[in-house]
Amino acid sequence: MTKQTFLHDKHIALGARMVDFAGWDMPVQYSSIIEEHKTVREKVGLFDVSHMGELIIKGEDALPFLNKIVPQDISKLVNLKAIYCQLTNKKGGIIDDLIIYKLEDEKYLVIVNASRIDEDLNWMVRNKIGFNVEIINESHNFSLLAVQGPKACDLIKSLGVEDLPSFFTIKRGTLFNINLWISRTGYTGEDGVEILVRNEFSEYLWDKLLDAGQTFGIKPIGLGARDTLRLEAALHLYGNDLDESTTPVEAGLAWSIPRTKTEDYNGKSVIINQLENGVQKKLIGLKMLDRNIARHGYDVYYNDEKIGTITSGGISPIRGDNIALAYIKNLDNLAVGSTIQVMIREKLHNAEIVKRPFVKKNNKG
Amino acid sequence: MNESMLCTKTHEYLLEQNGIYEIGITDYAIQQLGDIVFVELPEVGTEFEKNEAFATIESVKAASEIYMPISGKVVEINEQIVNSPELLNDETFEEKWFIKIESSADQVEFADLLDYSDYKEEIE
Repeated sequence: MTKQTFLHDKHIALGARMVDFAGWDMPVQYSSIIEEHKTVREKVGLFDVSHMGELIIKGEDALPFLNKIVPQDISKLVNLKAIYCQLTNKKGGIIDDLIIYKLEDEKYLVIVNASRIDEDLNWMVRNKIGFNVEIINESHNFSLLAVQGPKACDLIKSLGVEDLPSFFTIKRGTLFNINLWISRTGYTGEDGVEILVRNEFSEYLWDKLLDAGQTFGIKPIGLGARDTLRLEAALHLYGNDLDESTTPVEAGLAWSIPRTKTEDYNGKSVIINQLENGVQKKLIGLKMLDRNIARHGYDVYYNDEKIGTITSGGISPIRGDNIALAYIKNLDNLAVGSTIQVMIREKLHNAEIVKRPFVKKNNKG
Repeated sequence: MNESMLCTKTHEYLLEQNGIYEIGITDYAIQQLGDIVFVELPEVGTEFEKNEAFATIESVKAASEIYMPISGKVVEINEQIVNSPELLNDETFEEKWFIKIESSADQVEFADLLDYSDYKEEIE
């Protein structure tokens, strides 16, 4: 049985094409993925991302518990600040990638991927032995709306929210007399907010935002453009670019692993060893040197030897070329600027290793 | 769409004009694919069997193969859609055919092709 968000009827009324995503019937596009993509880069877009999970972790051991399950140092988190991190297994593999918000002392909000809610909960429950902590799945009570783009904050300010939270901060707010949480986060590389609201108000909020956003050029944006936007920003997609056999270091996420954290956490010995001694495989960015498109699962070659696999690939509507993320063997002679090959329909096509992100991010507010 | 075209269940169309067959994909298929960003066509002179993949088309989301409604030999390809795949999404652009072929296919090869009216019923 496919699940529906509380905004499902809205998507149908807007003429969205619906697809199954992680068990949810979600809008993939309303008009055109490329047009929607450009709307977010140039103006502002509204996304329904209510399929994502919300967990509350609270209790006197909430902090030590979180510090045990993620490599990030959660003790550095002050009230209302957010941090990007990964839920790691004992081998350092990534069970999910998360954003943890400290709401107040001993109470944290964790936003998780829709496809991983069950695994996350299972893993957390298995790890909570000995910790005085409560894990509450609030996913079925909340909707999540993302407002993203260079005009996103102008729109929210125009609705009476004077002091928007700073980048990776959350605050309580009121929009159209609805109490909600406004977080300065997103998955597009653009500035903007994500709004956490109780399900019963989500349809009203959706309509009001689309209406008020008209003067800013707002459009509803489907998961298709969400994917091309996050790829240009080189943001990982769980299931494509991250999985349980890949560590944060291999995934190019070493920036999210403090070397000074004293507490032990799941996978720490593997992760620290990789930080100190290097990795066997690593994530790279690629741009295709012809018009062919690299897709998830295609093989990557160098000197006629298979050295890796594409994990995400597609077009870049802003650059006008085709880009990809791939994991390759960590060979000394391959670096930004090197040319390697992608096997596409039984032919090798040249691709150049390029810096990530593919498009400059504009999200620091 | 032209009333005299024949269609496949995989959304290709076949249109005969003066002994030459034009092959493309239906408006419905284009609509379903969304933004088309890549088209790869075979070389002129290539021969294909019925149901053989002769072209690749990619939308933003995925790659799809396009199959021969009948057997034949390619006599012309539409370079315009190779150079500017987005033209396929342009409702004002009319030259959306992929290839033109010569064919000596017998009646058996036509047996599973749908009249346009039947195809319309199929997709509704």
